[in-house]
Amino acid sequence: MTTRAWSAALVLVLAVLAAGCLRGSSPTDAISEDELIWAISVNDRPTHELVAQAWNEAHPDTPVRIEWLPPDANEQRRQLFLELNAGSSLFDVVSMDVIWTGEFANNGWIDDLSELRDQVEGNSLQASVDSCTWDGALWCLPYSSNAGFLYYRTDLVEEPPTTWPELVEVGLQAAEEAGISPYVAQGAQYEGMVVNFLEYFWSAGGQIISDDESQATFAEGDAARTALEFMRDAQRNGFYAPGFNTLIEDPARLQFQRGDAVFMRNWPYAYPLLSGEDEENPSAVAGKFDIAPLPTFDGEGTISALGGFNLAINAFSRKKDLAREFILFASQEQDTQMILGRRSLPPTLQAVYDALADDPAMALLSEVLPEAQARPPLPTWNSISQAMQDNVFPAYNGTKSVDAAIEAIQAEVEDAVSIGGQ
Amino acid sequence: MSTPPAPTSGAEREAADTRRSPEVAGGSGRAGAVERRTTGQRLGKTALLAIVFLWCLIPFLWMFATSLKTTDEALASPVPWQGPWGWSNYLSVFDQGFGYNLRNSLVVASMTTIICVGIGSLAAYAVARLELGKKALILTGILTVSLFPPVSLVPPLYEVWRAVGLLNTYPGMWIAYIAFTLPLSIFILTTFFNAIPKDLEEAARVDGATPFQTFYRVILPLAAPGVGSAAILVFSYAWNEYLLASTFAPRDLGAQTVPVAIAGFSGSVQFQEPVGTIMAACVVVTVPMVFFVLILQKRIVAGLTAGGVKG
Amino acid sequence: MATATDARPAAAPGGPRPNRNGISERGLARLFISPSITAMAIVALFPILYAVVLSFYEYVGLQQGGFTALGNYVDALTDGRFWDSVIATFVFTVFSVTFEFLIGMGFALIMHQAFVGRGVARATILIPWVIPTVIAAQMWRYMFEVTPGFINWALPFVPDDFNWLGSSGWAMFTIIFADVWKTAPFVALLLLAGLQTIPEEVYEAGRVDGASAWQRFTRITLPLLRPAILVAMLFRTTDALRIYDLPAVMTRGAFGTETLSVLVQDFVIATPNPGFASTLSVLTFILVLGVGVLLVSVLGKELVLGDEA
Repeated sequence: MTTRAWSAALVLVLAVLAAGCLRGSSPTDAISEDELIWAISVNDRPTHELVAQAWNEAHPDTPVRIEWLPPDANEQRRQLFLELNAGSSLFDVVSMDVIWTGEFANNGWIDDLSELRDQVEGNSLQASVDSCTWDGALWCLPYSSNAGFLYYRTDLVEEPPTTWPELVEVGLQAAEEAGISPYVAQGAQYEGMVVNFLEYFWSAGGQIISDDESQATFAEGDAARTALEFMRDAQRNGFYAPGFNTLIEDPARLQFQRGDAVFMRNWPYAYPLLSGEDEENPSAVAGKFDIAPLPTFDGEGTISALGGFNLAINAFSRKKDLAREFILFASQEQDTQMILGRRSLPPTLQAVYDALADDPAMALLSEVLPEAQARPPLPTWNSISQAMQDNVFPAYNGTKSVDAAIEAIQAEVEDAVSIGGQ
Repeated sequence: MSTPPAPTSGAEREAADTRRSPEVAGGSGRAGAVERRTTGQRLGKTALLAIVFLWCLIPFLWMFATSLKTTDEALASPVPWQGPWGWSNYLSVFDQGFGYNLRNSLVVASMTTIICVGIGSLAAYAVARLELGKKALILTGILTVSLFPPVSLVPPLYEVWRAVGLLNTYPGMWIAYIAFTLPLSIFILTTFFNAIPKDLEEAARVDGATPFQTFYRVILPLAAPGVGSAAILVFSYAWNEYLLASTFAPRDLGAQTVPVAIAGFSGSVQFQEPVGTIMAACVVVTVPMVFFVLILQKRIVAGLTAGGVKG
Repeated sequence: MATATDARPAAAPGGPRPNRNGISERGLARLFISPSITAMAIVALFPILYAVVLSFYEYVGLQQGGFTALGNYVDALTDGRFWDSVIATFVFTVFSVTFEFLIGMGFALIMHQAFVGRGVARATILIPWVIPTVIAAQMWRYMFEVTPGFINWALPFVPDDFNWLGSSGWAMFTIIFADVWKTAPFVALLLLAGLQTIPEEVYEAGRVDGASAWQRFTRITLPLLRPAILVAMLFRTTDALRIYDLPAVMTRGAFGTETLSVLVQDFVIATPNPGFASTLSVLTFILVLGVGVLLVSVLGKELVLGDEA
């Protein structure tokens, strides 16, 4: 190589070496030190940005800046885990999935907010408040919620079934006539599948743990068996669409949106998408579907799993007073919660549901949410969920016996209950 | 899906080609050799190349086609050319600050490559040529250190990095990357240095060169293919790496790299998977890498055929 | 560092040979190797020791219980889930490394040829490898999924609803396939570098002696490629034994694809138990080390150490 080429290469190398010693510039570098940091998942980014904007307009001296966590729930938890476990004061307000309350509280990562209970009870949905409670104390405030809907094709089915067996019957028949699949939902080996399973389990009358959180009641009665056998039969006789055991929320939604399924169990987020509200994104089932509460085994009432996010204060935060104001703003102010409601992110403030009663999704939510069941807020919920994932999944796919699965899950719940009471 | 034919036929192609290559390279006008190549062999070779092309390119073409789909309808369809099409996914990619991520990945990967190949060559030379003592132990130690499952190294490293203030910085990443790519680099370079005849160094020493000069003037040019390979491998590792990058620089655009950014793309509504946008980001990431590698490959071959190892 | 002032003639091989600049060869060797050793010690050694120490403690969630010496190890080695993941890991490793070598060898031979369009061929072969792993994993997942079902659509002999990712056996196949697709170019590059050091004259001599193409390949190419093959095999095998990204993204470890690293990560983040996670890591490490040592001793360590084994 010529000397000139060598010199050019050398200059390039030196330039890189110089650049690589620190860090690059970033658009968030110029922001002041007085800001409040809010960590939340990048899902529903536009909605959260509007909430932040509303706060900033009302509190220009103490703006809030959002640290976006990844969309995947496991990755969110991992990033929160790393920060909080290391005692970092980077985040002030932490958005937690409803199932993390016990764990985060037990690890001492979030602050006790029991003194705010009076402000919250009666205003926010009871189920959401329950999901913020552990060991008698309130650890976070409700922000958003979620419940399962039954989506059904109005051109193929006259009335939404009220029992699961009826759903199977109607589904198989309608699917055969139309040449599509009967049912899509969440069947992959992950927490979403556990939610689906629990909806069967609870609607068969099952309870994972006793009310005082001291006993494992998973294997009591025949609810677990009913639920598992239902799933196994559904997979076997083709009620579950092909590829069901790898489906998560959005692929299921896409399948229904293409017109490839008679029924779908999914969260309310799918409603505006399926209605084709976005002109750039047409829906093949626009105008041909509707929503209904999930069926149960005996046809009485409805049960769905409660989802959503709560806001907590990082125990290591240096701006706790400000953080407290912010979460009250996001959780209890009607104007803020209306932002969520109008943008199809189910809010937690009861008043918003009353105000938006003519939106079909909101109306159904206000009917379903009071019956929504929270997963037990134990610190050890994750290991119970893992056990369910590891056992329900092979059981419904036919590679593990129902009895063995129930036994294994019961054992894990017993372990979790004995540990969880610390 | 079919795998390319086993080496037997490959070697036959090689035979056909080496008979032909003197013509291509030096044009020594052996017209008779052309007639020896049968149509069968030529067809076979073309078929082989076609299979290789399809194998490598179809997924990439699918990726590109998917990146152009703009509606859910299109994305849910298996047909790659199902419209409607548009460039909107590419616009969303850059809306999220992807330009910063490209810059960060480039800097981190370049730093890793330069430093790793730099100190790796020195170490490899020491192991291959210089009097070192306990070589077996050193090499085993080097290899051993790289064998631990990376997932379990993350939590303690994270705590140290946090304490020292290396989070969300470039050094936070390239220091770790260097440690993990050194073993492979040192091994590759050591085997290359070993393959270089010792007489050349003897000659240089007799001529009065210091070990440093011997290293730079004699050894390094001959080890060029090894150095080039090591460089490409290290760069690619750093460019692709996800676990450490997502731990040390998860969100800050001042240091967040490309794979971490792509994992953080989301649709406008929860649960919505922005497949089109993710594929658009992949295309943006892949195309320059291909050009980069293409250029580097040419350099290595040029260096070699200019008369390095032969004679 | 020893510095000798007398100018000794360059005679005895292996003895310290000071030259005019005064630094002995041994000292220079130490100087050359110290930056590498330092970097690796700081970053890699310390977490390993940390993990080893942790593996001797019992944990309940994140709370540290007492010192339990080998208690965690007994738990791990008697856990069916651990052995399932060992099997999954080995199945994955054997198949993916084998196919990567076969295909990689083919690619290397092609890239070594002089023909019109070689540059394009090389660039094409390298495309799978320059795509970041997590992205490639996502891409293959979308392609193999039943919806939208590109693979099912593209392959005429496969039914439209074939559930690749959701069947035992086929799930592992998809992961192996994705890994082979992505990594064969890496093996090809290592082998190519080796191919390029084989002088043309050796082939000429072989041709003159009347050796067929196949004989030239097995008698000349393969033996001379042994160093490159060793390095490639060593690193590919140890990497494959620790694979994490592909099974985590494509199948989440379902249907018998939970490899050792996926299992470890489960105990680091999902159901945290630092003691048990460290134990699993150490066991994985021992396994990988064992395989690595085996490979090196079988394929010849003198290649790497030069003539001073």
